[in-house]
Amino acid sequence: MNRNKGKLLLGLILVFSMVMSACTGGGKDGGKDGDIVTITHYTIDSPDRTFVEKLIPDFEAKHPNIKVKVTKAPYEQFDSKLQSAIAAKNAPDVTSHWGYGGFMEYYNKGMLMDLSPYLTDFKASDYNIPEDVMNIYKVDGKTYGIPVNSYVTVMLYNKDLFDKAGLPYPPSDYEDKSWTFDKMVEYAKALTVDSKNLNEAQYGVDFGFGERDQRPQYFGGNVYSDDTWTNGGKPSEINLTKPEVVEAFKKVYGLIYDQKVSPTPAFSKSVSGQFGDPFLSGKIGMSVVGSWSLAASSDFSFNVGVAAVPQGPNEKVRSVLYVDPLFVLKDSKHPKEALEWIEYLVTAEVQEKSIELSGGNPPVNQQAAEKYYSNFEGIDPEHIKQVFDGAYKYGFESYNHLISNYSQINELFINELASVENGDKKVEDVLPVIETKLKALLERLNK
Amino acid sequence: MSQPAYTGQPKKKTKLDIAPIIGFIILLAVTIAMILPFGFMISTSLKTTKEMLVFPPTVIPEQFAWGNFKELFINDEIKFGRQYGNSLIVSIATVIGTVLSSSFVAFGFARYRAKGSQLMFMLVLGTLMLPYPAIMIPQFLLFTKLGLHDSLLPLILPAFFGSAYMIFLLRQFFSNLPNEIYDAGRIDGCREVGLYWKLTLPLAGPVLATVAIFSFIWSWNDLLAPVLYLDSQENFTLPIGMAAMLSSKFRIAPWNLMMAASLLSVLPIVALFAVAQKRFVEGIVLTGIK
Repeated sequence: MNRNKGKLLLGLILVFSMVMSACTGGGKDGGKDGDIVTITHYTIDSPDRTFVEKLIPDFEAKHPNIKVKVTKAPYEQFDSKLQSAIAAKNAPDVTSHWGYGGFMEYYNKGMLMDLSPYLTDFKASDYNIPEDVMNIYKVDGKTYGIPVNSYVTVMLYNKDLFDKAGLPYPPSDYEDKSWTFDKMVEYAKALTVDSKNLNEAQYGVDFGFGERDQRPQYFGGNVYSDDTWTNGGKPSEINLTKPEVVEAFKKVYGLIYDQKVSPTPAFSKSVSGQFGDPFLSGKIGMSVVGSWSLAASSDFSFNVGVAAVPQGPNEKVRSVLYVDPLFVLKDSKHPKEALEWIEYLVTAEVQEKSIELSGGNPPVNQQAAEKYYSNFEGIDPEHIKQVFDGAYKYGFESYNHLISNYSQINELFINELASVENGDKKVEDVLPVIETKLKALLERLNK
Repeated sequence: MSQPAYTGQPKKKTKLDIAPIIGFIILLAVTIAMILPFGFMISTSLKTTKEMLVFPPTVIPEQFAWGNFKELFINDEIKFGRQYGNSLIVSIATVIGTVLSSSFVAFGFARYRAKGSQLMFMLVLGTLMLPYPAIMIPQFLLFTKLGLHDSLLPLILPAFFGSAYMIFLLRQFFSNLPNEIYDAGRIDGCREVGLYWKLTLPLAGPVLATVAIFSFIWSWNDLLAPVLYLDSQENFTLPIGMAAMLSSKFRIAPWNLMMAASLLSVLPIVALFAVAQKRFVEGIVLTGIK
């Protein structure tokens, strides 16, 4: 009897080790197999990113020597998975900065491949990519990324609330200089019902221009010294105590506590949850926001319009651009094939197809952009076109793509400014604290 | 109820009755507080996308969108059924692995004395102090070298090599079993493996139930390890799928689908707990006694 049990245990162990070895044989990574090369495209697991899977059959038919495999992770775990894959020499070939880290972080960690040697025949104009956009991912004249999607900052407004208040709709033309920040505040006042009762309360504007540290740019203040944009994203000076920056932050948070036309964080959270956009609740008149919010517009429970970000004190910058590139990672064994895949993704035909497959990703290829503008039910395509054209003209790339170690910097701003946003502290008191902490952080990171 | 008036003052009587009523009210309030989020989860799971965004939120959905549950299974981008199956495979295999290996090791630590066995036990306990992120990359390298990347095995195999916490739990329980049983077993001709398999395990029902429930819940909820090891959607487990629903900032998070998925995903845990509850509580009480 005992012997039988012992045998059973031994048998179990044997079966177990057999299963293990069987799997060992099966799980080889797809490298070279004759002339066929497999490249891996690593992305976030969400429909607006994973749609590329639907393009693979067509690509493979046109490039019989290349196979494309898509791997994915949820947003929060995107960076951890990428880091461990790189450590295990199992890095994907093609990816982008879809996690917390930005381009400069990848670049400074030496994760990216210089694509210039492979781009001798590549002309941005063949793919209708504007030169300025192409230049965003160049460092010292070397190209590290090819843009695929370009999001801009837009103003969305709730037409129903405007109609109820009897206000004219804001213009979508950036050249209409009568549409100013002050006018926006004036409109916002007419739209606001400042009440303790959540059911009655509504607010005029939610001014989500870029991340917190970029907001002063709209008012003509720059938090970081100009060399940041040329030296690999490492600011040599922090200007958080300069009067124009302090004034800018005062104006931003003044919308909540002085003018009382913007929702408090508490209000936003109670109507839309921790990460939600309060605009969706239908209780916000105007929202300055990334154009990705447009993609969901057909699900809004109210009529929505799109307008230009009003003219602020800074004549040059009125919109934050979020140009998403594709990178080839340094460890890639097949950069040429990886680049063929990227080039395929930016052709006009594929970019047009991608708009629908992705649920409304804005193409970087300007020929395909025409189709994008007419993709939104109930919104005049002409307005969207004007807003995008204006945004490109008066746009500045998002700081998170340009500054090294941006995730830590951004977290510092979020944590420290929370007390201002909650109305507990004043901007003047908090900014010097951030400056000290930020300098210490940068010194540690950029050693 | 209808007592003669002289036996007691009615005042005193009402005083006596108040205590349980207060207790009942407090319990009721706490129960409602606990059930409320769950109720809201059920309500949201039955709302349409438009209704989900309405403020103030409706308590009872205007129309019951039972289609949300169906959508989870038929939507090819969600692949809920597949993920559910994978999660069940991983969790059940983990439970079997943990129970078998940890109890075997614990039996050794509890019943035998050898040179350095105390030190070895301390070393095993020491591994409790290593957080997962510390071993994440070395373990990832190991499993990648073994060619097990993108399979469920890296999530299951570690369970077959014991879990320090469970070993500790089981050892404490096994140490308290009386020596007389083992002596009796030996007299009856039972071998050492038999002492483990035929005497110890049957006596350890409560603590094994505890181990099973804990390891099931840990494995069922684990997100980071599956994210690291699994590449193909066919292999994804539930937590990955559900985290992915929240992933995109480019669209409205489908809270209604997520709540429907959450409801379905707590079912195995509720079922397991219902089955093992009696033993589980017994187990917590017993392991508390030295």
